[in-house]
Order: sequence, then C-alpha cells, then structure tokens
Amino acid sequence: MKRLVLTFATTALLLTGAALLGHASGAFDQRLSPDRQIVQTLNRLTFGARPGDVEEVHRVGVAKWIQLQLHPDQIAENPVLDAKLKPLESLRMNLPELVKDYTPQNNVNMMIQQIIQPLNALLSNDDMRKVQIGTAEERTAVLKALDPDKRRQVLATLSPAVLEHTPEFKKEGEEARKVRDEEVQKENRRRNPQLADLLNPDQIAVARSGNREQIEALFAYLDPDKRAQVAGLLPQTALASIPELRRAGQFRRAPRQVASEDLKEAKIFRAVYSNRQLEEVLVDFWYNHFNVDQDKNVAQVQNLVHLLIGSYERDAIRPHVLGKFKDLLLATSRHPAMLYYLDNWESMAPDSFNVGPFAPRRGTVNGVANSLIPAFGLQQARGLNENYGREVMELHTLGVKGGYTQEDVINVARCFTGWTVRDPENPEFVFAPFMHDFGEKTVLGHKIAAGGGEQDGLQVIDILAHHPSTAKFISRELAQRFVADDPPQALVDRMAQTFTKTDGDLRAVLDTLFTSPEFLSEGAWQSKVKSPFEMVVSAVRALGSDASDAYTLVQKVSDLGEPLYNKLEPTGYANTGEGWLSTVGVMGRMNFSAALASGLVPGVKLDPARLAGKDEPSIARDLLGRDPSPQTQAALEAGLGGKDKAPPFIASLVLGSPDFQRR
Amino acid sequence: MLSRRIFLRNSSLVMAGMGAFPSWLARAASADGKKRKTLVVIFQRGAADGLNIVAPFAEKRYRELRPTLGIAPPAGPAPTNVNNAINVALNGQAIDLDGKFALNGAMQPLKALWDKQQFAIVEATGSPDSSRSHFDAQDYMESGTSGKTLGDGWLNRALPDPGPDASPLRAVSMGNQVSRTLRGAHEAIALGDSQQFNMGNQDASSILESMYAATPDASLGRTGKDAFEAMKVIQSINRSPYTPQNGAQPQYAQGGELGRNLQQLAKLIKAEAGIQAAFAEIGGWDVHQNETAQMANLLRQFSSAMAAFCTDMGDKMEDIVLVTMSEFGRTAEENGNAGTDHGHGSLMMVLGGPVKGGKVYGQWPGLEKEQLFEGRDLAVTTDFRSVLSELIRGHLGQSDLGPVFPGFKPSDPLGLLRT
Repeated sequence: MKRLVLTFATTALLLTGAALLGHASGAFDQRLSPDRQIVQTLNRLTFGARPGDVEEVHRVGVAKWIQLQLHPDQIAENPVLDAKLKPLESLRMNLPELVKDYTPQNNVNMMIQQIIQPLNALLSNDDMRKVQIGTAEERTAVLKALDPDKRRQVLATLSPAVLEHTPEFKKEGEEARKVRDEEVQKENRRRNPQLADLLNPDQIAVARSGNREQIEALFAYLDPDKRAQVAGLLPQTALASIPELRRAGQFRRAPRQVASEDLKEAKIFRAVYSNRQLEEVLVDFWYNHFNVDQDKNVAQVQNLVHLLIGSYERDAIRPHVLGKFKDLLLATSRHPAMLYYLDNWESMAPDSFNVGPFAPRRGTVNGVANSLIPAFGLQQARGLNENYGREVMELHTLGVKGGYTQEDVINVARCFTGWTVRDPENPEFVFAPFMHDFGEKTVLGHKIAAGGGEQDGLQVIDILAHHPSTAKFISRELAQRFVADDPPQALVDRMAQTFTKTDGDLRAVLDTLFTSPEFLSEGAWQSKVKSPFEMVVSAVRALGSDASDAYTLVQKVSDLGEPLYNKLEPTGYANTGEGWLSTVGVMGRMNFSAALASGLVPGVKLDPARLAGKDEPSIARDLLGRDPSPQTQAALEAGLGGKDKAPPFIASLVLGSPDFQRR
Repeated sequence: MLSRRIFLRNSSLVMAGMGAFPSWLARAASADGKKRKTLVVIFQRGAADGLNIVAPFAEKRYRELRPTLGIAPPAGPAPTNVNNAINVALNGQAIDLDGKFALNGAMQPLKALWDKQQFAIVEATGSPDSSRSHFDAQDYMESGTSGKTLGDGWLNRALPDPGPDASPLRAVSMGNQVSRTLRGAHEAIALGDSQQFNMGNQDASSILESMYAATPDASLGRTGKDAFEAMKVIQSINRSPYTPQNGAQPQYAQGGELGRNLQQLAKLIKAEAGIQAAFAEIGGWDVHQNETAQMANLLRQFSSAMAAFCTDMGDKMEDIVLVTMSEFGRTAEENGNAGTDHGHGSLMMVLGGPVKGGKVYGQWPGLEKEQLFEGRDLAVTTDFRSVLSELIRGHLGQSDLGPVFPGFKPSDPLGLLRT
C-alpha cells in the first residue's frame, strides 16, 4: 500500500512538477490562488509566519495588510519586544555616551605609564637623546652623573640591547629592570586579580562547572564589585546561559564587543518579535546593501567599529528605509562607520599637510595614555584613497555596469576628500577643509567647479541618487530580494520608473513592487532559498517558541555561514537565494532544526501545546504555512510509519526539509 | 551491474543504521591502484598586492613609487629610512630569490620549499579584463571566461569524467559555499566545518535523506543528495584519529582559518577520499590603508598554512599541485594612506612535488610610467588561464582545454612542471 502511495505521488510530480516549482518555469503572469497569496505575502514581507499570522492577513486582506506594513508607524509594536531589548542598554545610547562608557579602561600599558615615570620627566631633552640614541660613552657619562635612585629609574627604561653596549651599567640596569617588572606585576595583579584572589577553591569549582542555579547562587553571594571581576575571568562558555553575567563578564574584558553583541541579539529579537516585520526586513536588506564589517581595523584602535555599527544601523539606515534613497545614501556616506570602513576618513588631497584639527596629536587611545591619535605612525605620504569613491558607485548606486570609468572613480574620491571623522574618541562627521581637493572635477559628465569644499561631495550624492543607472540597480536589487533571484525585467523597469518619478521614494518603489502581478505570481512562489538568518528566525517563529536569550541563535546564524555584521567584503552577503545553497549549509540547517525542535538551543523555549497531539500532515502544514510537497509528505509517512511520532521529532524533520529552506 | 557509487549509497545506508561503517568503503571511493592527482586552488580575495608579496627590489622605480610601503632590499646595510625599518620590523628581512625579486619576509615559512625547488612564482599574471571591481574580476577569474556567459567555474569543467567509481568528495570547496570556481555539472561539495556532517539521530538522517532524494526541488535535491553522500565518507574518516605529520601542527595553527581548512583537506587526501580538485580561500587583501601591518599578518597566515600543508603531506606532495590566484593586483604607486588602490597585474604561486620551483617565471613588464597598464598598474604579460592550462594539462591530465577556457588559446607553456 505504501509503495502505491509513493508511486502515485511520483506520477503526480511528473504531471505537476513544473507548476509546483514556479521558479523553474518562470510563470510570472500566472496569479497565485488566494490562499497562496497570503503565504507568499508573509514569506516576503516578514521573517516567516508565526502561528496566527495567516489568519490575521486573511482577516485584514492582503492589499490592506501590505499597506500597513508599508506604514510601520501605524502598527502597534509588540510589547514583548521592548522587554526583550531592555537589558541591551547600548542600543539606546548615543555615540558620545557609548564611547565614554564602552571603552576599555584596564590596560597594562596604561598602568605601566602610571607607575613609571616617563624618561622625559627624569632627564633633559639633551640627556634623553644621549641615553637613547647617543654613543656608549655619552650614555655612560649621563648615567654616571645621576643620583642612584634616578639612575635606577632611567636604567629600567632601557632595552637590554642598549645595555649590552653600556657595560659599566649592564648589571645595575638588569637589576633595575627586574625590580621594575616585579613592581608592575604586583600592581597588575592588584588591579586585575585572578580567580584565586577572589574566590576559594570550592567557589572556583562551582564558577567553572556549576549549573545555572549554583552559579547564580554564588554570584548572589558576592558583592557587586567582585561580581563583575569574577564574571570577567570566567570563560564565556561558563556563563553562556546567564545573559546578565555573560554580558557583565564580556563588558569587563572587551566592552566595545558588548555593543556589537547587543546589536546582534537585538537583530534576532526584532526579527522574531517585531510587528513591523517589513521594516525589519528592510533594515536587514539595506544594512547589507551598505555593508560595514564590525572587524574593520581603524587607526589601531581595537574593535572601534564594534562601537559604531549600532548607531550606523539606528541613525543612518533605519530612519530612511521607507524614505528617500538620497537621504539614505547621504546618511551612510557621512556616518563614521562608513567613513572608517571604506577609508574615506583619511583620503585627502595629495598636497594636504599635517596641520589643523586632524594632525596627529597625543591622547588616550584604547586606554593607553599619550598615544598618537590618529595613529599615523607608518605614514608620511598623504593623498587620495579610491576605496569609497569606487564602491559608492559600484555597490551603492550605479552598479558595476552603471557606466562609470576609472576617471570617475578618481574624481568622486577627490570630491569626497575632507569628509572625515573628528577622531576615534569623538566619532562624528566633520568636513576638514585642509584635506580637501579644491580643484575642478568632472563626475559622470557633470562639471564640479573649483573651490567647492564640502559641497562637492553633496553634489556627487545628488548626481548618483538621480542617475538612471541607480534607479535600475536599486530596483533590481529590491526585486531580487522580494520576487526572485532573476526578477522579470518588465517589473524592474516599472519600479525604476517609479523611482525616477518620485525622486527615489523607496516606499513608492516598494508599493509598485508589492502591487505588481509578478509579486503574487507562480513565478515568484517558493523561488527564494532562505539566508541562514532567515532560516533560523523563521524556524523560531514557526514554532512559536519563546526566545529569552538570543546569544546561541546569533552563534547558529554564524555557524550556518552568515556571521552578523561581520561580512568583510563591501559587497555584503548574497542577495540571491541560490548563493546560500551548499552541502555543508544543508547539513547545518538539518542539525539546527533537530536542536531547535528538541529544545536543545539554550535560551529558546518551546511551546509544548503548539504541536501537541498533531499528526505529521498538520504539523507540516502548521510550520510551512502550506502543504509540503507530495514527496516530502511521502518521505515523512514512509519514514515515520510505526515509529516514534513525537511532535518535536516530526517538527525537526519538517524544519530540515527542502520545503522549509525556501520562502 | 551496480555502479560502485550506487553500491556505496545503498550499503552505507544500511551500515549507518547499524552504527558501523567500515573504513574500507571510503577507500573504495578512490580508484584502486591508480594514483590520484590533486589540484588545490587557493584564492586570495580582495586583490593581493603582488608587488609587496614578491618585491622587484632591484628596480629603482619600485622604491620611488613606494616610499612608505616598499620592501627593503634583502641584503645590504640596515635600513636608515624609518619606513623601511618599520617594514623590516613587521615583516622580517626580505628573502632574496634571484637577485631581482625578493619574497616578503613574512613568508619565511615558504623559504624551505623554495630551496627545495617545489615553489615557483609566475610574475605579472592576470586577467585580460581590465575591471577593477572585486566582484566582476573574481567572476571572470572563477568562471574562466568573460561576459558571464557560463554559470559554472573553470575547475569544475577541468575535472576528468567521473567514471563509475568517482568519490563523492572528488571536488571539495573548503568553506561554507561551493566557490564559483568549483561550481558546475560535476558534483562539488562545500565542506565547511566537517563536524556538521554528522547527524545524531539515524532515523532522522535516513528520513531526511529520502526527502532530499525525492524532492522535485532540483537545486536543493542535488545539494542534499551530495551532502548525504559526503557525510558517509566524512563520518568514516573522522572516526580514525589524525595528527598532522612531520611536525606540521604548529604551522597549521599559525595559518588561521586557511590553516584549519588545509588541515582538513590534508586529512581527507591522506584518507584517500579521492579528492581531485580542492578550493580554499583567504580574504582581507583589500588594503587601502596601513598596508604593511595588515599584509605582514595575512602573509604570515597564508604562507604558514601552505607550508604546513606541504610539510604534513610529505611524500604525497608528489601527486599534489597548489596554485594561488587573486582577482587583480594593486596600484604600483602607494596611495595617500600607506595603502594601495585597485590595480591590474599580480602574480601566481605554484607549489608541489611536480613543480620545477626555485624560479621566477613570466615576463617582467617593468614599472616605468609607459610600462604600466593605463599608466598606473603592473601590466599583465601572462594570462592566468595560460598558467592554469599548463597545470590542468600536465597535472590533471586533461588534454582538451576547449571546454575549460572557451575561445582561449594558451600561450606556450612556461615549463612549470617536471615532465
């Protein structure tokens, strides 16, 4: 009997295969059935349907529901979301506050500078020169003239190589260094106590390998100061399941990374819980379009960009995702995160010189006092940097075939010279005239007169935002996200027309997209493979699970190949679904599905009532929002026949199925 | 007669259910008795600065174009220029290759292979396409042809016909995605973290396998099928312990992610998983600023990873050739921020037992203004496809290169391989 069902299903496939797989047949003029229109709308405007969403769209009506999503201010936000975001305090801080509170304070170098007198406080300039780079005789003479106490301090700063050439003081120098090193170590230990200085052996054992309750009890017993110190000394894995302590520990070790971790966890929470789903989808899309990598190395200030990306998303991207493209482009171009990421902050006219507010100066960087800011240590040459000038055209506006030349790249870069960041401690946009190239430029055929200044960059933004190639390129990218990897040209053209007619009004462009026949067509149906982020979030949503902590989910998205806010290349992650298909990816998704459905993802709690008592066809329909393919259904039936039919097991199979990997 | 492949699939399904998968089955995947040749491609994404990887130190113009970045000559008095001194401090002393070119000091790990003549360099290689877009140029190099006419990659097309006993692991991409270079009609798998190829629950595993085998979704079905086939081989290989040989472990550890990936690859090749083509990549070469420090770090990882792999493989290197490539080079002149912008010509490295190494190949175009491409970048004198053609022909034994590089006629062989 079973065999018969299978055979029947196979025949059905042969007959309907083409229709089932719209993406293969390309039927963009064939309208979806009303039920499928609802599923399609949810699949594209949200991160996957939650229980009850299909009914909700049915009640409101597809067209009206889409309009609501296009006007998120008219949607009441989910109160649950606010509570989830509350502990992630860095999200609500402005940049100056963040820099003040999230910059590392504890630093061995800073301490050394505090307990050891610098050489220039001990010696005159001339003597200092003699000691450091003078001849052996000069050095010996200066040292001889010093009183013993001062001499010890001076000797402690000299390297063994220098002492090698100062035989008379070699031994004394070595001793002075040894004493100094011991002092530093002692002070270091006082300021940065080890676990053994803070806890007794039993407590250490609990802290390292106790269960959640034991660890919480231990921390409740400690006084608040010690709490953070101990948390900072434990490996992150020991505290993985206790969000507050994990965060406190990380804050002590690397506070800038707490800011980026907050942002990642918030991204998961918002995608899972926000009622303004389209806005979240668009923030994801546009951040990726104007990608900034958290790990960009800037001016040797470790993890600086980790501090900036939250503001970049919140202040430069989010306000404009349904606004004017030009405003979005301008906001990204002036944000310190982008200025650092694509190097424009240090691009300058070749004849710029080392004066003004941007000349290197001394100050505290990364907790190190008296550091050079910005760290121009290696640099003597000054001049143009083409990085932003190229990518703003290739990736942000015109597209690679958008009709620009190498000359345009150079001229755009010249226009943007002087658009920079005040400094790492005051990361804000500023125009620096002394860095600017005031000569005449030609950009894409437009003359930009000499003597312009900051205006030159603004003019370029204007030219790029209104270029026909931009209208086409942006429309195609959006159609690729919302319709199909290879969207119909007619649709792209109509969207581009709207773009041009409305001065790049992104809400209007999306309206053209969502009300198009192509959007609700068989051609678009199930045509997109989910990205890892989309897969993970849609699985949590489909199960109606409660995420109390997003830490592990962030890790899972990363394991599946999409580390959040961490794409090195300015291209961002693949916008096409097919780009995400891979053997290891499919394996990883199946393993994630099994872990999630069995309740083995820390921080995510299943709702046992959600699937209780249901059989496999209804579980499949619940999680997919539609019937599975007959083949998937047949494999489920054949595989489960007479075996364990626990709903979580069935759910893990459905979430791991080929059907769930598409949207 | 059952093909070995189907046999492998069916029997392993049963075996997996029983929790015992004999290791001979994995070995059965590789052709018996016949030596398997492997070509490993390493892509440096982001446009690697060839001029600071192998520095033309004998050219006066080099130091003029790069006052801050230039690599100090390998021999002679200690540098008096502060930038050169910093450079030497970060990279280590450059390694003289032939009196004209010097290897960046950070690539010390590869020196032993150069001395053993298993490491060759081809200078001034690149693409005929002048694009300075990372994406476009990578696309050209990975597809091996222009105009996006083909959706697959050159390395996939270069694979010999599988025959009935091909391994499911004959073509592996050591990352989360099958790279464009390896995509195509022949099966290729993305290996990523091989621990993922392990499903706890055997029931779930076999139900999902049948789901992906039957699905009408062609692309997911194929990916799933490849994944399950690979899983069986990988599981059996992972069951036997593996430690890198000849003391390669510390070098692997210094090789970062590339080191980890090449170590995984070494393990598979040693287990005779039947690998013919492998692809790995290393990103971060887009150094528009602060190049010296960034490159020193990257080159140390890059060369440690490759050196570790060669050391670990030992005698097996006789059947292995590694080749490196990058989408384009960088401007000959340094930019305003102690970095370089997008350029044109770069270089390729070829390593392995069959390589006639210890030599810099290719025609050097020079660095004078009129010798530079568009007055700013190193010119290309050897099409990257010529180098690859020579390796595909000489090492993989594929004589018909028409389908691999359509419409391309390779120049005379450089003589990179021992015959």
